Amino acid sequence: MPDTPPRLSPPRTLVHPGPFDPVRIRSMHSRRGRHVRLTLDPGRSLFEALVKPLHEMGIKSASTTVLGGLFSALQYCVAPPDSSGKAVVAYGRPIDAGSAYMIFGNATLGRSAQGAPLVHCHAAIRTQAGLIKGGHILTEQSVVGSAPISVLVTSLDGFELRVTYDPETNIPLLQPHEESGGE
Amino acid sequence: MNEVNLVETGSMGRVAYARIAPNEDLTQGVEKLCLAQGFRNAFVRGALGSLVDACLSKQDGTCQQIKGPAVEIVSLAGEVRSQDDGSLRASLSGVVADVEGNVYGGPFVAGFNPICMTFEVTLEEWLPAGTQ
Repeated sequence: MPDTPPRLSPPRTLVHPGPFDPVRIRSMHSRRGRHVRLTLDPGRSLFEALVKPLHEMGIKSASTTVLGGLFSALQYCVAPPDSSGKAVVAYGRPIDAGSAYMIFGNATLGRSAQGAPLVHCHAAIRTQAGLIKGGHILTEQSVVGSAPISVLVTSLDGFELRVTYDPETNIPLLQPHEESGGE
Repeated sequence: MNEVNLVETGSMGRVAYARIAPNEDLTQGVEKLCLAQGFRNAFVRGALGSLVDACLSKQDGTCQQIKGPAVEIVSLAGEVRSQDDGSLRASLSGVVADVEGNVYGGPFVAGFNPICMTFEVTLEEWLPAGTQ
């Protein structure tokens, strides 16, 4: 259980394995927001249900809000301290939530270092056992239930999100970049 | 009599995406993103990432601290508003999950939510009518 101290503990500054990056905020913008309402196709994985229709529309990078809906299967993980010491924290083993209800979540669409579509999703869920949990959703292992689920998509136009290695944290991360153009 | 504008009309402007680096504060990071992009008012459109520890304020004036690392930011709603003195203030409310996946929610306390690995945030600029 979390503590409720009478006085606030000061924020902790963690020491990461790599060199400190002097640029703390990497940002880019689109001149206008382009929005799409999407419904996730029952029976498909969350990954496929998000990526396929957006790819067909030519949207490669987007920020999305997944509204509530039932999944016939859902897996997630959390990020405890990394015992290997490679990074400050690392994703743990997949946790099977069974047939779970996604209360809501956010998913970012971008590209892997190799150029393949990539989805990074965090969500709050009600597990099959009835527990309210949250974490990093394994989008390829999570399957949309029998009813379509609504998603609000904000397309990121004029730049792209791509995974690049971040020396400071020593992990690959989604970051905004100029459009590379190619597939 | 207090005069409160209950309704503010306007339109959406630009859309900014940022990756904010470790040990930066969540709330101040969002405000600084607005400085970087020249936004005066904005809404959060999507956000996810992780915190070292989380700090959420409670109704009795105390705070709930959730120990990490990492505390995952599951979802976040909020806005940035230009203040009367010209400064910017972000008000962020959200749901976080601890290292066992247990969830907590509330308003984030500015200055007390250091980012752990990364914070990805999308802001949509809000242009109140008359300021465009």
